Amino acid sequence: MIRRTLAPFALTVLVLIVAVAAVLIPVALATPDPIGMIDTFLFGPFRTFRHTGNIVEMATPAMLCGLAVALMFRAGMFNLGVEGAFFLGALATAAIVILVPLPGWAMAPVALAGGMIVGSSACVVPGVLRNRFEVSELVSSLMLNFAVMFIGLYVVNSVLRDPSAGAMVSYRIPADARLPRIVEGTRIHLGTIFAFLACIAGSIYLFRTKAGYESRIVGANPGFAAHLGLPIRSVMLRAQVLGGTIAALAGGIELLGLYQRFSWQGLPGNGWTGVVVAILARDRPLLLIPSALFLSYLQVGGDLVARNHDVPNEVVGLIQALILILVTASAITRSPRLLALLSGKRKEGHA
Amino acid sequence: MAAEPIIRFEAISKRYPNGTEALKGVSFSIEAGTIHAICGENGAGKSTLMKILFGLERATGGTIRIDGQPVDISSPRAAASFGISMVHQHFSLLPSLTVAENILLGQEPRRGLLVDRKAARERVAALAARYNLEADPDARVAGLSVAAQQKVEILKALSRDVRVLILDEPTAVLTPPETDELFRRLHGLRRAGITILFISHKLGEVRALADRVTTLRAGLLSGDAAMGDISDAEIATLVMGTTKTVPPLREPHGFGAERLRVDNVVLRSLAGADRLDGVSLSIRAGEILGIAGVDGSGQRGLVSVLTGEVLPHDGDFHLDGRSARGCSTAALRKGGMAHLPADRFHQGSARTLSVVDNAIAGAHRSSRFSRGAFLRVREMETEARRLISDFSIRCPGPRAPLSALSGGNAQKVIAAREFATAPTFLIADQPTRGIDIAAAAFLQGRILDMARQGTAVLLISADLDELLALSDRVAVLYAGRITAVLDNGPHLTPERLGPFMLGLEDAA
Ligand SMILES: Nc1ncnc2c1ncn2[C@@H]1O[C@H](COP(=O)(O)OP(=O)(O)OP(=O)(O)O)[C@@H](O)[C@H]1O
Ligand SMILES: [Mg+2]
Repeated sequence: MIRRTLAPFALTVLVLIVAVAAVLIPVALATPDPIGMIDTFLFGPFRTFRHTGNIVEMATPAMLCGLAVALMFRAGMFNLGVEGAFFLGALATAAIVILVPLPGWAMAPVALAGGMIVGSSACVVPGVLRNRFEVSELVSSLMLNFAVMFIGLYVVNSVLRDPSAGAMVSYRIPADARLPRIVEGTRIHLGTIFAFLACIAGSIYLFRTKAGYESRIVGANPGFAAHLGLPIRSVMLRAQVLGGTIAALAGGIELLGLYQRFSWQGLPGNGWTGVVVAILARDRPLLLIPSALFLSYLQVGGDLVARNHDVPNEVVGLIQALILILVTASAITRSPRLLALLSGKRKEGHA
Repeated sequence: MAAEPIIRFEAISKRYPNGTEALKGVSFSIEAGTIHAICGENGAGKSTLMKILFGLERATGGTIRIDGQPVDISSPRAAASFGISMVHQHFSLLPSLTVAENILLGQEPRRGLLVDRKAARERVAALAARYNLEADPDARVAGLSVAAQQKVEILKALSRDVRVLILDEPTAVLTPPETDELFRRLHGLRRAGITILFISHKLGEVRALADRVTTLRAGLLSGDAAMGDISDAEIATLVMGTTKTVPPLREPHGFGAERLRVDNVVLRSLAGADRLDGVSLSIRAGEILGIAGVDGSGQRGLVSVLTGEVLPHDGDFHLDGRSARGCSTAALRKGGMAHLPADRFHQGSARTLSVVDNAIAGAHRSSRFSRGAFLRVREMETEARRLISDFSIRCPGPRAPLSALSGGNAQKVIAAREFATAPTFLIADQPTRGIDIAAAAFLQGRILDMARQGTAVLLISADLDELLALSDRVAVLYAGRITAVLDNGPHLTPERLGPFMLGLEDAA
């Protein structure tokens, strides 16, 4: 039993080690100090408490975005609106704390709730289009992400922009609205605890509630769901509303947890990281936690190398890309529906 | 015996990653140019052995020799290079593509970068003519009857240079005339020098077709003999061990009030096989109405109307006196309908979900399996374990994914789920297709039990023996019309039904 559940896990770990080694070693050999570079990459993040803290900080939005993606993928919805929802959620949260006069204690909750509602639209709109008109949620959500970004930047520039700051950034976020830090010497904030709890709740939702069960059935085989008389369309929409809400909340939490001002000049990429995290975790909410921490660890290691050795930060991107390819390759072969979607044609014979 | 056997299995073992030992050292030979049958209960390891030969699974022990040489068959591509082709237990055609596209998938004739459609069509036509298996290259697979799809599958398997053709339960979906037809084709292929490996649960077919039979039991070889040297009873014993199956017995009993009435239902559909042209039926509580008919005579249309999947263009149907036209599947199921679908894997189950998830789905909203928004996971598992033992489902456990079950065992999970809802109206569409003799007798017994307790049953089956063993009345469907409704009795025989099924006679 234990061996059975651990086998795929061990395989994944092996794949990860290979991916990291395959990029790291050649890059290291091209630097004057290969051993030093590899050392910085692998162990640097644990040498100072602050850097270890960075891993956890980065993992926070990754877990939440991963959860958003996993819940939608489980229901068979390949909705990539998380990126837009994260951006918009953060922006709307910023707008509320800056523009709406609220008592200090109410700022964070009200703004996060508002951000959630506004931001989730990046997933909900493609969901509704799919529901009503059979528009592919994959395509519409991808396009909407960019529309959301341009609208958002316009709003920042014309409404929230602080003219006294040099760059195109918003007014300061009031100190009362910030999420409390919880670990001395790092920037780890209350949102991290929330992210852990959310992953656990996500697991309970998927495997222990009727709604989660139904979404897994719809995602695994819509024909089966129809045979059972499940309300397929509302199950699909529910997954996308849930996913959008979580991603938007993640954006708000990121903003109130780490930022002084809204300062993004484009899509921040956390949503994409969420997709990688979800695929790495094979859409299992509890596995989102280690996979988010792992990817953040690579990111922090990469940042340290970029700062201290003559290596571009893109190396981390390269490792991520390779991991993504290797892991999706195995994820795809496990999921016939994803396979059909991606290739349009090929399908494994099974008997 | 001068020539080497074309295939020799030597101590083949297979242990799946989850620990299931599907094969435990199986050795036997297949002579070139023969038809070789493989028999065994559900989960005996037949498909596993064939998948190993076809390169879809890797043996964990043993050697395969082809023409005496040990070979390594690591993929279906490698199998193809040895001239081995396979028709799977569950079809793998892509419904949205045409016949020609399906057959030549991956080996399309090209002109520059584009597929040469004309050449493709010609190649398929030539192939069909060569093996005398007619097929319309331009038809979409979605619109074909199962028998027609079967031919396409076989053509696809024959489209490369073939020496060995593996057929995993090819007849499960066919009616007797279609089976006869297929057998004539297979005999033709043998004459053309092709070696055929054939899996079936029906001894009559094995007798009619095979030169030699090998039996497997729980992953072990239990017998291997020339057809001339072995009787059907001996094969059955080798397959099942010592247990004897008692065929189910229909006992006369009274019927209750009319439960289902179908009035003049018309369904005009794009796919011809679904069309209904004014069908009327009636089933009383406790009655089993069998539907006979060549596959593609409207069975699929009738079932999709009665399950609320499609709205008929005209006509109506009543359940317990209330009109049910326009009711959703959910409403119908709530009203006591259960449906064992013919299409196990597109409709009946989700292969990636666990046995529990497949066995409880649909009943999960009841207070037995849920409290508020939450599932009672332990209750679900207990019930799944009960079904596994009641229906003797061979599986590693309730949490195993359905894909780890053999074809017949997966199907038993579906039957167990639908039967467990204690329906007042049951649609059983090919209930024992692909199921071994003992399990089929068990399922048939359960259907009779349900009828005795007042369930109205609509039984659709390609197997006329099954139909005549269970039904109180038999309606024959031909080209979307009911051509006869006959009371069952000793006078009713397959021969009597034949002319109605082929549309030669019409008593309606
Ligand atoms: N992918 C798999 N993973 C784990 N176990 C498997 C897998 N496929 C089959 N098995 C197990 O191997 C055994 C043999 O299965 P196989 O499919 O070969 O049976 P079969 O003889 O073809 O039965 P059927 O008549 O039901 O099709 C069964 O116990 C089954 O549960
Ligand atoms: Mg099988």
